Amino acid sequence: MKKSFKLITLAAAAALVVGVAVAPASQAAKIKACLALDTGGVDDHSFNASAWAGAQASTGIASVQYLPATSAADFAPNIKKFVDQKCDLIIGVGFAISGAIVDSANLNPTIKYAVVDDQGYDHGPKGDQYPGKPVANVKGLTFSTDEPSFMAGYAAAGYSKTGKVATYGGAPYPTVTIFMDGFAKGVAYYNKIHKKSVKVLGWDPAKPDAGTFVGDFQNQNKALSISTGFEQQGADVIFPVAGGLGGATAGQSLKGKKSVTIWVDSDGYDLVPQYRSVLLTSVVKGIGESVKSVITDVSTKKYTNASYVGTLKNKGVSLASYHDLAKKVPGQIQNEVRQLGKDIASGKVSVK
Amino acid sequence: MNSLRKLGTKLSQVAALPFLSFLLAFFISGILIAVSDSRVLKLAGHPWQMIKMAGTVIGNAYLALFQGSIFDINLTHGHSFFQGFYPLSETIVTATPLILTGLSVALAFQSGLFNIGAQGQFVFGAIGASYIGFHYSLPPVLHLLISLAGGALLASIWGGFVGLLKAKTGAHEVIVTIMMNYIAGYFILWILKTKAFLRPGRIDPMAPEVGTNARLPHLAGADLRIHAGIFVALLAALFVWWLLTRTTMGFKFRSVGANASAAKTAGISIAYVTTATMALCGALAGLGGAVHVLGSEYAMTADIAGSFGFDAITVALLGRAKPVGTVFAALLFGALRTGGRTMQSNTETPLDIVLVIQALIVLFIAAPALVRYVFRIKNLKTSASITSKGWNG
Repeated sequence: MKKSFKLITLAAAAALVVGVAVAPASQAAKIKACLALDTGGVDDHSFNASAWAGAQASTGIASVQYLPATSAADFAPNIKKFVDQKCDLIIGVGFAISGAIVDSANLNPTIKYAVVDDQGYDHGPKGDQYPGKPVANVKGLTFSTDEPSFMAGYAAAGYSKTGKVATYGGAPYPTVTIFMDGFAKGVAYYNKIHKKSVKVLGWDPAKPDAGTFVGDFQNQNKALSISTGFEQQGADVIFPVAGGLGGATAGQSLKGKKSVTIWVDSDGYDLVPQYRSVLLTSVVKGIGESVKSVITDVSTKKYTNASYVGTLKNKGVSLASYHDLAKKVPGQIQNEVRQLGKDIASGKVSVK
Repeated sequence: MNSLRKLGTKLSQVAALPFLSFLLAFFISGILIAVSDSRVLKLAGHPWQMIKMAGTVIGNAYLALFQGSIFDINLTHGHSFFQGFYPLSETIVTATPLILTGLSVALAFQSGLFNIGAQGQFVFGAIGASYIGFHYSLPPVLHLLISLAGGALLASIWGGFVGLLKAKTGAHEVIVTIMMNYIAGYFILWILKTKAFLRPGRIDPMAPEVGTNARLPHLAGADLRIHAGIFVALLAALFVWWLLTRTTMGFKFRSVGANASAAKTAGISIAYVTTATMALCGALAGLGGAVHVLGSEYAMTADIAGSFGFDAITVALLGRAKPVGTVFAALLFGALRTGGRTMQSNTETPLDIVLVIQALIVLFIAAPALVRYVFRIKNLKTSASITSKGWNG
């Protein structure tokens, strides 16, 4: 009794936080959703935080909880803990946890699973079978982040006065390079339409080995030296695809006044208000939305193992507003970028 | 009978400080748990009810800590009674590498050295064991033994190099081991991206899983993760004890640890002791890395070392640089870590409280005067002499 009361209070509190009325469809069951986080902690200002915020804002939950990880060794025991806790839905946050999620899913076919940033395929007992097989109770939550990045590349090329824009990544993971691909191709598309030759520093989709990477997602100094290097080569727009390391680039933009920064993952205007004056826009990856959507699927019994793909069309990914820099971006470019978004969503323009 | 009583007195003397520190740390953390709980804070106007609620909250949190680390009756529903010991198995799995890294730091303390490099040595142990484990196909037992030995050997070279540097050039081992931790950290990032280590089909740093013949066997069936690595760790503890108390080499180690100048005058080669100690420390921490990979993880990732090497310093301090003490301290830390998981998921007490407990334990052990003052004890035996040697070279 006491426990159920606690759960109701929790659900009510979660509902209050987001200001939505708890009015799920009549057949919807309240579920217990559990998030196994990646390393970095729940307040990482990045994907862990987005996933947790999305889960808390969901309707159709009886309770939500999370467990942080200090290293990859925590993944399997954390998930096992959730199995023992009889969670209805276990969500692994981050592609690194995918293997542990699949292992647990194979052992517990009655529990539903999801994994952020990976398709959640079974790669065989040795983990070397690619692309692998789908698992009946694992749903991948993936994102076509190349779509908004394509728009960002177009906008950056249109904004640039030096004719040079730049991008770099944290580490050469597929979830990172997909942003850089989209960005570079967006610039190329701008060049084709406007018959210009804006150059992209740091990434060439044809030569992935020559891309610029920090090597991890912690090294602020390296990120800063990459950013100043780009500025010295004449880039006046920089797109760091390295989570919180974007702060190093934005800080340099603010200090050097030679460049502007495009923020990644969430809208930097809200997240890092100290850099508002140098943020051109943000490429938003709706991790929270995807988590919300899979929780709704389970509570309304519509869960399948077909991957969720966040696109411009379903608003799973988006390009943020220009906010304070709107008056510095030519109106014509703004219109073209807006139209480009519609064309990508309708399939008229391909970002591949 | 008399000797038994003597042993009892000695034990209570040696264990008093860690035990009291432990008690104090739990007390203070309990207050933190209570004041960070909204249900307690809501009762601020009613002191008596508030205290009662605080008691409940703290009690539940520590009960969950116990359930998550030793035995949980809830896990036996619908399963065998045995399954209730799953938390204990997890505790031992976490403690196993910690025992080995802890021994590495403790042994260095005994020789008057401060080994902060257990983290890097752990990494090299993991690299060696992982490579032999996945690259070669050998018969059972042999494959495991060679993988373990390979990891220990590689780490021993890595650690011994520090000792050699100190012996030949006087470079301080604290500085050198800290720097070498960085090198090891970046080295593993790099090597995981090379063709030899990268798992086919992946581009994120992750090695293939080690072969089944190279894995440490499970001790209690596939459901529990407890593996034979705990025996490796206990044997290593026994070895360190034997080495320190029963061999000439160990006597030399301890002599240098107690007073390097006197040892030198007595004809003990400091250079030899320093190099040998650091090589052995490296082997112990490397064995920790090997056991972690071959026992529970199977696949090596860039963060394979977690914080095993750094927690080892705390573990060795808590264990007063003695093999037996280190084993118990590591088990305690393993229990705190695994129990913290249940504490967070059952009672919503943040996992981070565990870090507070660990830090407070170290704080009190490092400041025995504080413990003496709180408990009004005059003759509390401290081990400050042995654990602060490394700093002054």
